[in-house]
Amino acid sequence: MAQRWDAAMVAAALGRAGFGGSPDEVTRVASIGWEDWVEEQLRPTDGVDSDCQRRLRQLKLRIKYNAAEKWSGVDEMRPLKTLDQPIESIWPLITKRAEMDGAERRRPRDEVIAATILRACYSRWGLREALVGFWHDHFNVDAYGSEQVAVALPSYDRDVIRAHALGNFRGFLEAVATSAAMLYYLSNHSSRAGAANENYARELFELHTLGRDAYFNDRYDRWRDVPGALRGAPEGYIDQDVYEAARALTGWTVEDGTNIDAQRKLPETGRFVYVESWHDGYQKRVLAREFDAFQPAMADGRKVLDLVAEHPARFLCTKLCRRFIGGKVGHDTLAAAIETWTRNRARPDQIARVMRVILTSKDFAQGAGAKLRRPLNLAAAFVRGVGLDVAPTEGLANTLAGAGQRLFGWPTPMGLPDDPRMFIGTNAMRQRWALLLGLAENWWGTGVFDATHAMGAPSPHLAVERFLTGLLGRADPTLTASILSGLGMPESVSVGLQGAPDTQKKLARIAAACGMTPAFQAA
Amino acid sequence: MRPSRRDILRAGISVGLGAALDGLSPLPGLGLAFAEGNAAGPLLVVLHLRGGADGLHLLSPADDPDFVAARQSELRVATTGADAGHRIDHSPDERIDFRLHPQANALFDLYREGHLALIPAAGLAAAIRSHFVAIDMIEHGVADAAALARSDSGWLARYLRGQTKATSALTVAAAGAPSGEYLGWGKALSVPDLGGGFGVPGVPPMAQLLGKVYADAQGAVGAAGRDALAAIKLVDEHLPRDDQGKPIAYQPAQKGAYDLAGDFARPLKVVAQLAKLDVGLSVATVDFGGWDTHENQPGRFRVLVERLSVGLSAFWNDLAPRHDRLTIVVQTEFGRRFRSNRSAGTDHGRGSLMMVLGGKVQGGVCYGSWPGLKAKDLDEGVDLAVATDYRQVVSEVLAAHRGGPVAKDVFPGYAGQARLGLFRDDRLSHG
Repeated sequence: MAQRWDAAMVAAALGRAGFGGSPDEVTRVASIGWEDWVEEQLRPTDGVDSDCQRRLRQLKLRIKYNAAEKWSGVDEMRPLKTLDQPIESIWPLITKRAEMDGAERRRPRDEVIAATILRACYSRWGLREALVGFWHDHFNVDAYGSEQVAVALPSYDRDVIRAHALGNFRGFLEAVATSAAMLYYLSNHSSRAGAANENYARELFELHTLGRDAYFNDRYDRWRDVPGALRGAPEGYIDQDVYEAARALTGWTVEDGTNIDAQRKLPETGRFVYVESWHDGYQKRVLAREFDAFQPAMADGRKVLDLVAEHPARFLCTKLCRRFIGGKVGHDTLAAAIETWTRNRARPDQIARVMRVILTSKDFAQGAGAKLRRPLNLAAAFVRGVGLDVAPTEGLANTLAGAGQRLFGWPTPMGLPDDPRMFIGTNAMRQRWALLLGLAENWWGTGVFDATHAMGAPSPHLAVERFLTGLLGRADPTLTASILSGLGMPESVSVGLQGAPDTQKKLARIAAACGMTPAFQAA
Repeated sequence: MRPSRRDILRAGISVGLGAALDGLSPLPGLGLAFAEGNAAGPLLVVLHLRGGADGLHLLSPADDPDFVAARQSELRVATTGADAGHRIDHSPDERIDFRLHPQANALFDLYREGHLALIPAAGLAAAIRSHFVAIDMIEHGVADAAALARSDSGWLARYLRGQTKATSALTVAAAGAPSGEYLGWGKALSVPDLGGGFGVPGVPPMAQLLGKVYADAQGAVGAAGRDALAAIKLVDEHLPRDDQGKPIAYQPAQKGAYDLAGDFARPLKVVAQLAKLDVGLSVATVDFGGWDTHENQPGRFRVLVERLSVGLSAFWNDLAPRHDRLTIVVQTEFGRRFRSNRSAGTDHGRGSLMMVLGGKVQGGVCYGSWPGLKAKDLDEGVDLAVATDYRQVVSEVLAAHRGGPVAKDVFPGYAGQARLGLFRDDRLSHG
């Protein structure tokens, strides 16, 4: 039962399920049908994403720092080098910190930021990119707060988030729990038997799996009083579950050169390691299950992950529905997503199956126009819709941050909220407008936008119609008139001569004006 | 410049602009009115230390034997030696040597001078050890899950709505959005930094365009665009400019006073600048992040306390001419675990330290009772108990700011505790 949607409907759908689409892509999807697009997107392969791969290979990102005693100054346009590197190849940025400028340690993070923007703008696997963004928010780390996280970010993005974004949640959870980025960000790397560090364990329950609504704070230590506990299936967790889970995860750490005892020292690779002598081996109780004392290596921590992975169907499906549907999430859609999540718990494509349910639901179709674009989505959908050639720069990333989305730089573990109020405050609106105008007018060296190649020197009226159609799938006559009058451009006179610099500038401004309209702020 | 530490990253601010004076000029589109001329009414600043600040390390019961036994020395304030803290008078329990952190020099001075009041063992009445639930409750002005579920607005929004004299308000934020305390109060302006001016990008043609396309737009985005354009105009028009029309960077009353406050300086300077622009600023909220010290607390906490102390005192001195109309309340979502962990840090706890700084504050005194640190006195045997409800402190601050009792709906269901008496009288001078 293929759904046939018009271009406006497809443009909005691509904006919610991905980062928008070019006019050609909108036409293609309108022709093959939405379900076929979703099926295609659930099985992404990098091999056929050649335009995006080429741009990634060709991208050069500036790095600049001054000379010091131990190094010479650098100011160069350097290709992205860390994205494919295993963590042990770039961990020396941490261990040999005295031999280089801090900009080198921040470089892996900056490369992931640039690649993330580039993929949002050009990858043909828009759904994967949107899900990668969702999971980076969900399993948030702050690469601005710690050098270790900045250096671990390429591996976290590639081996943890991208590798599992459409995969199995239980496997995902363990990849997160054993990643250097998360082990540093939520302090578990330094957690030791005796008085364990509760930071990761608490957020594992509250943010990563069960959710805050399952926190029975008033039952503190009375685990039997949690509904379902006596059947071995508690509906939520208490503070003592956090304490016990923290104990279960002691010894899960990073090879970062720490001394184990007088004779032994961990190697310095940035890889995960389990240190038995730091683990609290005594008996525990987590979520109403008893753990025997002195289990094999990592068994306690894995049992905790097994238990919390049983739970989060409702919490996570609600979060996914809210992110991707945008509008009202009906009971039937949520129930179907939860049922799919639960039934496929053991399957390697568990998350992809849930996404199929969500994206082909009635609620998704009805949610068109209801989802405020977050800044990266706004920028990428603009790039796709009007056909910009953009090479990401630090200035662009900083403007995204100004508009409310500092990529990989949200300080608290909750991750960048999905709440639209975050992105329509006074300054956020101001920065959203700047984002599009700056892209069109090349304020940050991302590339000159010359629309005269594609459209010659059209009348302003025609230019507005073309850009609006690219961005929204259709050009509403009232909006067209309002933009023309706002820009003070006469309707019929040509914007100039083809090839004249002034023509290019006027067209860029018209494109930005179309993106700055209220209609394009949501998808 | 990019901040380099997690502990200074989330420095956001929200500023409410309201006016209660004659000579109001209406601003089209917003229903906003602001005062022209010397419109310096009372100014309330709500500062939130994000992450759960360790009140026991900021003001330590330094020689309490149970405290000494529970924590490694680097997580307590010392009573002797080069790094000894500031011994305070009028502590909550005169048998204990209460000491402010050694980096809190300026806070200690403000306390001794009688401007700063300390409220130890303050916090949320509900036992919440989750950041996000605790912050939500505090911002909504409630203390239990059922009330939170019912609430659809922040306490500051309800307070502002009850201010019949204030025509309107805006909000200003460095972190992108107004804090949850303003939830339900639409006229909120967010400003991270006024250094580069606060104009519409691509002025003036783009301002004209935006005015047109947002004029009749439906929904939240349309309203947000119109509000933003009005607020931008208001602030930008008032910014001082040089001959070329470029905004002049803010000059605090004392040059360099904020320099050691790190990123915490930025939102404070924005508030101070707006206060001096006389646009009718009446309420501001400021965030200072990084207090979630699960590991490496000793070094991180030193930096945080120094920035807090330097920043607050710089702000205080910057606004010296209006001290009698200025109140700053400092809060956090919870205190930290009584016992330290083996990462040289502390996990989520209960009671923490609140502070109130202001010209009409009866400072130099600790308020509220001290629950004690014996096992039987601790909350669940693990954390400093909450003796003073944060709503008691804020209620008294609002009563003083408003010059009269606070409406019941600001803190729904809150019956009130014994009056602390933080202010000399519950009425600040109004203009």
